[in-house]
Amino acid sequence: MRVFVCACALIAGCAGKAPLPTLATVPELSEVPFFAQTDYQCGPAALATILNAAAVAVTPAELVDAVYVEGLKGSLQPELTAATRRYGLLPLPVAPDPESLFAEVADGRPALILQNLGVRKVPVWHYSVVVGFDAGTGDVILRSGTEKRRLEPLRRFLKSWELAGNWAFVAIDAGTIPATASADVYMRALVGAERQLSDSTLARAYAGALARWPDDPFVLFLAALREHTDGQLASAARLYREVLARDPDHAAAHNNLANVLFEQGCRTEALQQARAALDREPPDGEFHAAIADTLREIEESPPGPQDPALCPGG
Amino acid sequence: MSRRKIRQLVGVLCCAVSLSCMQTAARADVIGAEQFINTLDRQATLDRIDAVLARSDVQRELERYGVDSAEASERVAALNDQELMLLTDKLEELPAGGSLLAVVGVTFIVILILELVGVIDIFKKI
Repeated sequence: MRVFVCACALIAGCAGKAPLPTLATVPELSEVPFFAQTDYQCGPAALATILNAAAVAVTPAELVDAVYVEGLKGSLQPELTAATRRYGLLPLPVAPDPESLFAEVADGRPALILQNLGVRKVPVWHYSVVVGFDAGTGDVILRSGTEKRRLEPLRRFLKSWELAGNWAFVAIDAGTIPATASADVYMRALVGAERQLSDSTLARAYAGALARWPDDPFVLFLAALREHTDGQLASAARLYREVLARDPDHAAAHNNLANVLFEQGCRTEALQQARAALDREPPDGEFHAAIADTLREIEESPPGPQDPALCPGG
Repeated sequence: MSRRKIRQLVGVLCCAVSLSCMQTAARADVIGAEQFINTLDRQATLDRIDAVLARSDVQRELERYGVDSAEASERVAALNDQELMLLTDKLEELPAGGSLLAVVGVTFIVILILELVGVIDIFKKI
């Protein structure tokens, strides 16, 4: 296994020497607050930094119980993102490359990153927050440890970040989609946070996603599911149909639309949609069992009168 | 049947329909967001592994172990999510374009795949 690791470092090290075109325009986010870490608690300090920058007032001491593991003298990455959700914000992973990292800062968001300040074999893990880049000196500006404005030469910084797997995330208000976000990353983060976010935030988030990516089947499908789970059958049906208009072979959308139609009492079209779903799902496909259940349930129900206003599809 | 009775009956039917809505929305036959996303991820992983298996140098190596690549692809598809993750953790370290293959050679990757699909078990001692 060691062969992989070393070889990768070599290759990525070469890639890091390419110029970074966006760096000249990266500002310094001087308003981002600073919390000096105590003992080994860089995790709570870094997390408090980005939460406060996103207008959630919380101190590192208040975060210790949520993210610090005494036995490890440190914090685990998933706990930092989970704690972000507990404070009502959405942790959005940053793509593991320098351009994406600095694009977040350029767009006004400090990024919480993991660094390895040691060497690969003897790692020294450290969380800090990137708040800017000084184009004059070529230094990355960080809130780090006990230093409010730590400067690290770009190459050394990138090396330490790369030794920690180029891991970074930003904390955002879920209802405000950043310019840098991709539909895929944003929607996954949103689905993962649904239980912790308020209904009004979720409503803004889904409305925002539909406005931003109106033609993306992934966004449309997840928005349809949200309406569906909320019992909003008419708008769920409309959104599932929008998915199918763009991706007629979307078996999951056919299946779920069949369920909505069945719930609306539109048995005839529900049956058609369930059969369409089954036709498009291979027998060993992950959704096959669910689709077969849908179809069986509809087939076993007695045909009854249908409301033509609700059931335009027959 | 009087009009009033019909109205009552319609009312009862409506209630029944809306009740059944609430129940069905939570039923297992609706494909939920997490299930949908997990399936997408799994498919993307399988596609990436298939791309590696489709390389002629990888196929030649597989043949040396008496496995044809179509069979290897089927075996990979049969791995559960955890096993797939073990495999992709290693493939994850492959730079785009697979230039690492040039560095470490294909043999190691092939052995890794064979190991994970159960053709050989040289890593079990570790």
